[in-house]
Amino acid sequence: MDAIIQEFWKGRERKKPDGQCIATTLSTTVDPERLRRFVNSANAQSIKPQIQDRIRYDLSGRRCNCSKDEADGWGNIYEAFWKAASEIVVIQDGRGKSSWSTVYEAWKDVVLNVSRGFTNYNFERWALPVLEATARDLRILALKADDERNNTNTEDTPSFGDDFDLEGEKHQKLEDCARQLNRLFTLCLNDRAELERSRKWSIYYIINLLFKTYFRLNKASLSRNLIKALLAYRGDMPELTQFKVSEVVTFQYFQGVLEFLEENYVKAEDHLTEAFFMCHRDCIGNKERILTYLIPCHLLTSHSLPSDKLLAPFPKLQSLFGPLSTAIKHGNLKAFDEALQECEDEFVQRRIYLTLERGRDIALRNLLRRVFLAGGLEEGKNGGEPIRRTRVPVSEFQAAVSLVSGEAVDADEVECLLANMIYKNLMKGYIAHDRGIVVLSKAGAFPGTKV
Amino acid sequence: MMPSWPTAQAPPPPPPGTQAYSYNMVPAYTAVTNVRHSFGTSYQTHDSSAHYSQPYHSQTQTVTHQATPPPQPPPATAEPPKVEWPDSVRRYVQRSFLPSNMDPAVDRKEMEDKLKEIISSAKDDNTMMSIDWDEMPLPQTIIRTERGNNLMSNGFSQAVATQVHHIPRPSVPLYSPAKASFDVTLSNRHHNSKKRKSSDIADDARSSNTPPWRSNNHNHNQGSLKERTSFSPDKRRYDDAKASKSQTKLEKRQRRFDGGYQSAYRSPSPEPSAGPVIGTCMELEKRYLRLTAAPKPSAVRPESVLQQTLELLKKKWKREGNYAYICDQFKSLRQDLTVQRIKNDFTVTVYEIHARIALEKGDLGEYNQCQTQLRALYKLGLKGNPTEFKAYRILYFIHTANRTALNDAIADLTSVEKDEHAIRHALNVRSSLALGNYHKFFQLYLETPNMGAYLMDMFVGRERLAALCNICKAYKPDVKLRFITEELGFESDAEACQFIVDYSGQDLLQQKDDYIIFQTGKAGLLFESARSEAFRKVDIKGQI
Repeated sequence: MDAIIQEFWKGRERKKPDGQCIATTLSTTVDPERLRRFVNSANAQSIKPQIQDRIRYDLSGRRCNCSKDEADGWGNIYEAFWKAASEIVVIQDGRGKSSWSTVYEAWKDVVLNVSRGFTNYNFERWALPVLEATARDLRILALKADDERNNTNTEDTPSFGDDFDLEGEKHQKLEDCARQLNRLFTLCLNDRAELERSRKWSIYYIINLLFKTYFRLNKASLSRNLIKALLAYRGDMPELTQFKVSEVVTFQYFQGVLEFLEENYVKAEDHLTEAFFMCHRDCIGNKERILTYLIPCHLLTSHSLPSDKLLAPFPKLQSLFGPLSTAIKHGNLKAFDEALQECEDEFVQRRIYLTLERGRDIALRNLLRRVFLAGGLEEGKNGGEPIRRTRVPVSEFQAAVSLVSGEAVDADEVECLLANMIYKNLMKGYIAHDRGIVVLSKAGAFPGTKV
Repeated sequence: MMPSWPTAQAPPPPPPGTQAYSYNMVPAYTAVTNVRHSFGTSYQTHDSSAHYSQPYHSQTQTVTHQATPPPQPPPATAEPPKVEWPDSVRRYVQRSFLPSNMDPAVDRKEMEDKLKEIISSAKDDNTMMSIDWDEMPLPQTIIRTERGNNLMSNGFSQAVATQVHHIPRPSVPLYSPAKASFDVTLSNRHHNSKKRKSSDIADDARSSNTPPWRSNNHNHNQGSLKERTSFSPDKRRYDDAKASKSQTKLEKRQRRFDGGYQSAYRSPSPEPSAGPVIGTCMELEKRYLRLTAAPKPSAVRPESVLQQTLELLKKKWKREGNYAYICDQFKSLRQDLTVQRIKNDFTVTVYEIHARIALEKGDLGEYNQCQTQLRALYKLGLKGNPTEFKAYRILYFIHTANRTALNDAIADLTSVEKDEHAIRHALNVRSSLALGNYHKFFQLYLETPNMGAYLMDMFVGRERLAALCNICKAYKPDVKLRFITEELGFESDAEACQFIVDYSGQDLLQQKDDYIIFQTGKAGLLFESARSEAFRKVDIKGQI
């Protein structure tokens, strides 16, 4: 106990209290031995008075720096922490009956007491790291508890719904965790204290935790509500730039992915680009995550492909996007389909499959453009500059498409593909069905490609 | 009808000892209730012999409980008591015998016995005047509740339950005088325990889902366990405040004893109140009602009945085709499966059939509920037609334009499944639409396997509009109507023509010598607004 309380005293010094320091004392993972000693130094009856006493007076009998209220708040937190810790120690020792679910419930109490510290016991801004750290651990413990329960096949809980809720049962604790985090979110959002002492400074930390939780629960759309709530309070909120860069990057990333999932590729591109450039240069993993969505965005918004230089530091992305890019560049439909198929599982899992699939249009455009270029030049009228042949038989396109896709494609289907190109403004011109030719625009048949 | 219970037969207050054996035969339910009461305040009055005999007592009771379901106490043969029954009790007795209150499932004999038991226990406890007899549930109701609870807790089959009272009673040796002292304590205990019984029954009837003795036992067990293991300071304070120290200690010790033995001798079934309901309802049909509380076993049909229900519903659907009725019945069927936690191949069959019927009727709300369940059930490895329904699922999400769910649906597929005909078809439909390949899409539309066409019909209209927009922009100056008919999968030129006219494109059609042309070049943005309207109006929930 002494080790932990001493740390607490160190953190709670008068002039410059250090929440980070206190947060480390409330960690479930740092040092198993210290946790055990802490648990063994008290029992269920003695912990409350012991803790209260030790928080108010240090070993030499010196009074604590904080007010009585605040000391009570900390006392409650450490008491709850002791209970959670003793459950963890039981698990570590492999004796008795405890489970991560029990730990989770106990830890929920810790988080509850921390949030009470802010509402009832005058905790100030410096203590926010404690809130953040305990909230973070809550999510970790929820995941552990769900894992454990799903692996041990426990009895079903009775439900009175009309149908089973099998998904929900799988994520019981995590769903509960989402509710708890949501409460913390409101706790931070609604704080009316002036900015220097506001709980608002934890808002993005909590939001990011919630994003992660919602994505894990496959309920990403719920994140929308958070962003809406945040927007409503925009006026009272400190500028995004004043927050920790790490929090901002994560926030922008998730916002980008959300927009991406809703097919708002332009907005998604903005957020992701922001995140990409703010991301620490050594965070290869994070950059990779951002690019996973940013590259498909670019493909759709500006028809541009990632350069080799960009992909160089990310072998994973190289293998995912490399073959696809080459196929698009060459207009090789077959190679494109194969590349897409090759990594299908990976793409589907990252939810970019349906977006990348649309890259086939670009591949097709490039192919048709090649056919057009191969058509060569015709003599200009009245001996003028030679111009490109703009009347192209459908059969030429048909031959090209059949060739590169490796199967015979009939004329009607090719016309259909051409019609699509025209409709999407990837190609300018029209189809004269009866005569079986395509008439392309003399001024820029393939917009954006200098032809 | 006159009360058939002459006062002469009413059991007298049993003089301890002499009447002992009749108590040996109290129905299992009452016996368990005894045990439960033994936790209560009645303890202080017990002598130690009562206390120590308890474990043995509860053991025999448990055995009786399992092996021989409730034999009723034989009519007491003691001398007629001279008791004046209060009016309220008389009214209660009368009420019990009203023909309208008779329960066909409870035979008269059993009901009468129960009635006697209730009244005599009230008399024994001197609660005759304090009980609100007008609010007291009827004996037949109580019997039913107890049966349900008994079934639920022991997993007895319905058959056993109905035969309950035919089972021969324990034979003579049980009553042998050798057991006298035991019996004395027993009767003594029984006497005390009756104190709370009638009111308990009243309580039971009000919140009759969990058998009171069970839930209470359960709590007590927990309590005693906790007391042994936990050091919670709160508990202590509570105890200290409650009574003098010595008494508290005594109580605690007694409770510990009882609790400990209790749990050891109880049937090995899992925690009673936590388990799923086991239904006892034998009706084949049942109206759907959304549950707001735990269901009563008497209102839930067991699986064997549900299987017959399904057969009945299948026949009725074929014969009558009344969707409102069928849907309602299927919903209650599903509900019964859910509350009993029945998750097996039969469950899958139920959901599959309901899904198909809903699909046929275009009830996408129900269909979606079914397919969501099916997805989870298939994941459990249950048998059914996963390929068929996974294909529907893909088509459904194409219709609702739910990209996230579509992505999940694809992620669910194994590579083997992707090669199954129906799923391959659905995937091709999806990719052809994603790439705007209407030519391929309408070819696929014409060869949809299973019932997928019901789903495709829902979005084929908007895809036709999209394709028409495409064609109008790309083809100049015109195409033959036949081309439209073929490309957009219409059955005939007339149908294609009608479609164009429906979206006010009649001016674009022009009769030539032997064919009609469709002047795409002049269409401009005619179909664009209809198209965006059609794509906007996807009801995500699909409710009708």
